[in-house]
Amino acid sequence: MIVQSTYRRRWRIAAAWSVVALFVFPLYYWTTTAFKNARDIFDRPPTVWLFDPTLKNFEEVFGISLGFLRQQEVLPGGGNFYMAPRLWDSIVVAIGSTMLSVMIATFAAYALSRLAFRGRHLFVSWVLSTRMMPPVAVAIPLFFIYKDVGLLDSYSGIILIHAVMNLPLAVLLMKSFFDDIPKEIDESAIIDGASRWLIFRRVILPMAKGGIAATAVLCFIFSWTEFVFVLTLTQTGLKTVPVVSSSFVTSTGTAWGNMAALGAAAMVPAFIFILLVQKQLVRGLTLGSLKQ
Amino acid sequence: MSRNVSAATGQHALLVRHPGWLRLLLRPFSGDTPFPWLAPLIAMLLLFTIYPLIYNIWLSFHEYAPFRRQLEFVGLDNWRTLWQDTRFWGSLGVTFTYFFIVLSVQVALGMAIALLLDSDEPGFGLLRALLTLTLVVPPAITGMMFLLMQDPEFGVITYILESIGLLDGTRPILSTSSTALIGVMLADIWQWTPFMVLIFLAGLRSLPPEPFEAAMLDGASPFQIFRRITLPLMSKVIAVAVLIRGIDVFRMFDYVFVMTSGGPGTSTYVLSLYAWQQTFSFVKWGYGATISLVSLTIILIIANLFIKLAKVRW
Repeated sequence: MIVQSTYRRRWRIAAAWSVVALFVFPLYYWTTTAFKNARDIFDRPPTVWLFDPTLKNFEEVFGISLGFLRQQEVLPGGGNFYMAPRLWDSIVVAIGSTMLSVMIATFAAYALSRLAFRGRHLFVSWVLSTRMMPPVAVAIPLFFIYKDVGLLDSYSGIILIHAVMNLPLAVLLMKSFFDDIPKEIDESAIIDGASRWLIFRRVILPMAKGGIAATAVLCFIFSWTEFVFVLTLTQTGLKTVPVVSSSFVTSTGTAWGNMAALGAAAMVPAFIFILLVQKQLVRGLTLGSLKQ
Repeated sequence: MSRNVSAATGQHALLVRHPGWLRLLLRPFSGDTPFPWLAPLIAMLLLFTIYPLIYNIWLSFHEYAPFRRQLEFVGLDNWRTLWQDTRFWGSLGVTFTYFFIVLSVQVALGMAIALLLDSDEPGFGLLRALLTLTLVVPPAITGMMFLLMQDPEFGVITYILESIGLLDGTRPILSTSSTALIGVMLADIWQWTPFMVLIFLAGLRSLPPEPFEAAMLDGASPFQIFRRITLPLMSKVIAVAVLIRGIDVFRMFDYVFVMTSGGPGTSTYVLSLYAWQQTFSFVKWGYGATISLVSLTIILIIANLFIKLAKVRW
C-alpha cells in the first residue's frame, strides 16, 4: 500500500512470524508428543526440541505394526485403541453429511439469492436462528426421538443431524457466493427463454463451483470435529475421532502419546481440504458483508 | 409461449430437451416460486430444530421419575427450581464472563493480527495458511492439547509461566478456581482467533484504497487512520464475524467438557455443560431441557438485538 521504511518493514515481518509461530506452537508440541515415548512426555522441564522419536503411539492407536519403518514390537494392551473402524466412522459421517447439507443449501441459497419473495430477509434470519440452538438443547430431545425411531447409534442419524447443524452457515455461505454472480447473466438467459432450473444447472452451478467446494470443506470440517451430537446420540455402534480421543483419559492416567497420535492423524485430511479452498473460503466467510 | 417456441427451435445453448418424466419433475423449479427450492431446507429445519424445540418445551413441564421409570407431568416445577437454583445462576454468570472476555479478546487480537498480516510481503501467504491450521483441530482435541500443556507436572505452558514467575507451582491453572476459566479460554482463543484473522483479512483486502491515500496526504497518524477509516469501513465485516463467533462462544461445550468438566467447584460451569450434566448424568431430563431452553432464549435475544443494532443484512 505505502512505502514504509525498511526498518519498520523488518519489524513487521519479524512480528508477523513470531505471532504465527506462537499459534503454531501448540500444534507442533502436540504432533511431536505423538512421536515421543512416555519418558519424554512426562519429562520436566518439558521436552520440546530434542527427543527420541518413536512410532509406538501410532502403532498402538491404529493397531498396525509399523515395524518396517522402525524395528519395534507392538505393545500388548494397545488392542483397545484399534482405530481403523473409528476413522472409517468419521469419514462416512463427514462425507455423508457434507453431501447432504451442500445439496440442500445450494438449492435454498439459489432461491434466496435470485428469487424475490416476501419475507425473504425474515426467512434468512430464521435459518440463522436455528444455528443459535445450543447443541445440547437439540441433543437432549433428539436422544429420545432417536431412541423411539431407532436412529441411535446409526450412521444416518448422525449424518442427518450433522447436516442440519451445518445448514445455516452453508446456506448463508452459498448465498454470498451466488450473490457474487451478476444478476444480468440470469436475466439475459431468461429473455432467451431458459427456465430457472436450466439457469441454475447450466449457468449458476458451474460459476459457483469454487464456492460449492469451499462450503463443502467447511461442512466437512465441522462434521469431522463435532463432539456433542456424537457423544450423546451414539453408544457403542459408532464413534468419531474427537469422541474416541476424549476416552483416552482413564482412571489410571491419560494416554497422552496415543491421544496425540490419533489427534495428529485426524487433522491431516481436514488440513489438506482447507488448504485447497482457503482463498474461496475466507472470502465467503464474510457472508457477503464485503460489499460496501 | 415464447419459451416453447425457442425451445423447439433449439437456438440457444441453454435450451435442452429433457425426457417427459424429468420435465414433469423439474416443472416446480422452472418458475419463480421459491418454495420448491426451499422445501428440503425447511423440512430439515422443521424436523431437526423446531420439533426438538417443541419437544424440549414439552419436556420442561415433565420430569423423569426414576423409580416408576417414566416421565411425569410436574407443571412449572422445573421452572421454579430453576429460579431458585444458585448453581444455574452461577453457570449463567460463568457463561457471560466467558462470552464477553473470549469474544472481545478474539475480536481485538484478531484485528491486530489481521492488520499485521495485511501485507504482500513474500511469505505472508504461508503465514496465513499456517494460521488456518488451528481451525481443523477438533475442539475436543484442542481441549486435550491445552490440558496437556497446562498440566501442573509436565505442561509446557505451566513451565514457562513458572520460569518467568507468573505461576508459583502450588496452584495448577486448571484446578484453581480463580484461573481455571482462563485456562479454558486460552484454548478457545487459540483455536478461533485465527478464524477472526482470516475474516478480517478478507475484509481489509477488499477496502478501497482512496480514503487511505487521502488520509495519508493529510498527514493522519496510523492510529487515526485505523480509528477513522479502517474501523468504520470494516464495521459490517466485524459485525458478521462477531455474530457467527458469538453464537458459538455462547454455546461452548467441548472445551469445558474435556478440560475441567465444570470444576473446580463450579468455576467453569457453563450453561451447556450444566444442561448436559443434569440430563445425562443426573437423569433430570426435564430440568436439563429447561436449562437449555433458557440458554436458547438468551442467545436468540442477544443475537437478534445485535442484528438490529449492527444492521446486519443478508
